Amino acid sequence: MIPFPVRFRVRQIGIDGHTIGPSRILLCEDPGVFLIGKSEDADVPLSGDAVSRRHMSLLMTDDEVRVRDESSTNGTYVNGTRVDEVVLSAGDQISIPGWLLELLGPAKNAASATRIGGVEVDESLVSRLIMTDDDAAPSSPLSSSRRTFPGAEFDGKDVVGVEALRASGHPVDEVRFCAVGGGLGSFIWVDHLRCYGIAANDIKAIGTEGVCYQTYKRYCKNSQIPDHERLRSNSLSRPDNIWGFPGYALREVGKGISVKGVFQVFGEPTLSESYTPRAGDVFDSLDKEAARISWPEMFVKAQVLGLRKTSDGRYAVAYKLWGGEASGQERNRYVIADVVHLSTGYPATRFVDDFQTFITNHPDARAQVANAYEPHDQMYIEAERRDGPVQVVVRGRGIVASRIIQRLFEARKKNPNIRILHSMRTPINARGGAVFRMARRLVRNNVEIQPFNWPKSCWGGDLRVEYEDADEEQRGIMLTQLGGTTTAERSDWIGIVDRGTEEGWYRPVYGNISDLAPLPAQGANQPAGVQVSIDTVEGNAEKLNADYLVDCTGLIADIRRSPFLADMLDTYHLRRNHTYRMKDGTAIQGGPTGLHCTNDFEIEGLRNNTGRVYAAGAITTGGPYLAVDSFLGLQYSALRSVDHLATERHHKVRNLGPFRSLGGWTKWMVGAQP
Amino acid sequence: MTLTFAGRLQTRLFLFLFIGLPITCLYGFAVSGWQWDWRVIQVFVWFLCTITGFGLLLDPVYIFLQSTRWDRDWPFAYQFFFSWVEFGVVFFVARAGLVPYLPEVAFQGSRGLGIATLHFTLVFVPSFLALLGPLQAIFIRWRFKGGQFGKL
Repeated sequence: MIPFPVRFRVRQIGIDGHTIGPSRILLCEDPGVFLIGKSEDADVPLSGDAVSRRHMSLLMTDDEVRVRDESSTNGTYVNGTRVDEVVLSAGDQISIPGWLLELLGPAKNAASATRIGGVEVDESLVSRLIMTDDDAAPSSPLSSSRRTFPGAEFDGKDVVGVEALRASGHPVDEVRFCAVGGGLGSFIWVDHLRCYGIAANDIKAIGTEGVCYQTYKRYCKNSQIPDHERLRSNSLSRPDNIWGFPGYALREVGKGISVKGVFQVFGEPTLSESYTPRAGDVFDSLDKEAARISWPEMFVKAQVLGLRKTSDGRYAVAYKLWGGEASGQERNRYVIADVVHLSTGYPATRFVDDFQTFITNHPDARAQVANAYEPHDQMYIEAERRDGPVQVVVRGRGIVASRIIQRLFEARKKNPNIRILHSMRTPINARGGAVFRMARRLVRNNVEIQPFNWPKSCWGGDLRVEYEDADEEQRGIMLTQLGGTTTAERSDWIGIVDRGTEEGWYRPVYGNISDLAPLPAQGANQPAGVQVSIDTVEGNAEKLNADYLVDCTGLIADIRRSPFLADMLDTYHLRRNHTYRMKDGTAIQGGPTGLHCTNDFEIEGLRNNTGRVYAAGAITTGGPYLAVDSFLGLQYSALRSVDHLATERHHKVRNLGPFRSLGGWTKWMVGAQP
Repeated sequence: MTLTFAGRLQTRLFLFLFIGLPITCLYGFAVSGWQWDWRVIQVFVWFLCTITGFGLLLDPVYIFLQSTRWDRDWPFAYQFFFSWVEFGVVFFVARAGLVPYLPEVAFQGSRGLGIATLHFTLVFVPSFLALLGPLQAIFIRWRFKGGQFGKL
């Protein structure tokens, strides 16, 4: 609990990550809710490139200080992790694009509350919220949070003693298995452990989202996949069932929803469109499995700050509790675990360069452009409301672009003057799909077609075996040959493009986007827009005056952007995977991608006597498996790592043979605890 | 399904041993009036063995066809269709008397066709259903190993 006035040190951050100018102090005198954003009626107006009009709110009561993201475009981060709403304690750093707010501890006495860094604030100027100068020395954003916890125990050490941790005064817990991340990857790994017979009280899962599919659901929602829409996933890829049977198609029959899915599964992908489950059904099934395996008992809502080997062959994980009864230093804790699983998902993501440059240089035009993975519902609502033509440029040709075009098609029912310009780098003719040995990828409407994000046999067929057996370079080449942007073959999507082409409201534009520029509003009839310059494949320069640009080229994952992973990479000099590209018949190594791990998903660099660390998901990109960030891929990596534990026999994990497997599955079927 | 070559062979033999053979023996037993008449039962057993053997010979062909498909997969519908093709070929070759150890008289007329079709249906339906998922409940790694058994 922090007594009023609650004080934040506010710093402006430049593009290079360093502070600009002197920092100032934000003083909150009374309980209340304070809006921060670019809007003029915000309680704390902050200018800036990528600050939303209503970016976040500070919620102050006598008991706690909370920060809540107001569905901002670029997100609100607390100590480097994107948050929706979280309780703060002294020393926490809130970052939004261009700004860093640090919650300061209580003032020594009431008189000094308004005296910060030697500057006395004139009492007559102290309102509910004021900003005053602060002459404290600027520091780099991350270092100050590391100073407090787990700084003294972790910094500069690669092995720590358990006794030293106990002596630090922070609560220290011991557990056999610890899952770091708390998302779907952690859930699926814990689900395997539970089904292999590990008791719930031997497992701890740590994450910042209370529900394991929260982050996944957010990406779905932003890219216009509400609960009733279908995902791009297979019937038998069930994150709530380690056996994958019965699949979602059969579940729909059982629930009386539809029998169509079963026939789709029978004929897919050649004779029928591939079956895909509804997002809402997947979430419901996960809720059910979470209750069955006692996930809430194992889960701790907290942020993981660091990991170190311990001198007794285990691992110390430093974490900070979010919410709950504990406060202050009580929230900073350690857990000592024999086996750790890392599945922290996409670290802070970044946009493609030209898009990032545009939003940095033209913050005023932010409402006109969006990445498909950020919240941008407002665009559709505005386009539907507008009484006149609306031109939208959709960039990219992946599954997300397909869904966005479908959403615009739906918007056309309210405003038939919406036109879609589909920007793609090059046209692809019917015989121009990717080639892998004797096979060629199908093309429809200049878009490559594939049921899922990798060829099916990458999950459990001959390509999985071949890729796993290949060396790093061959893997890189296979990844290039088999990867690429694709969409699913859905008759409704193909129909929309065909109809739009025929009726003239859909037009593909081929070429590289060379420039994005804002188009200022000109009176009521000509609202603000964005000019998209394209160097077309014919060699012409085309300028598209659009109302909106939706960029569907995806996000770039960079594991170094996670302070937790970056600290581990530096402390243990962990190996990374790399991209490869072909040039004149030889493979050339490109930039680093995920964490290097063995075929069993173990991070060898973290092996500590019998202690083991495994990884899963997006952070293992470029590793022993192609589809690491899919439901089935997460199940595969979980199975490999838990099987590895069973084979090594160090940690009392029993193998899951046919009889035990059937027994476990029967329990799943009847809903009994594992 | 995304079967590998070894996976195809192993799964086919597994289904033959644990589903096909027991059902065939039971069927032969029923056809011979619920008494153990090996002379009758062996016709069904050898008939099923021939279909399985023919299937094993065709497996490299299926694998080749799979490799020409981008996803390198094998739709359930293909599995369904080609299972009946295998049955049909063996049946008509046997009916023509070209399989020395199968008495051609057993396959003549609509009665012969009916008995053989019912036999294969009884073997095929549970085998095919097993492929659709139940095998995964027993062999948890089977789906990731392209139909092979054992550890990953």
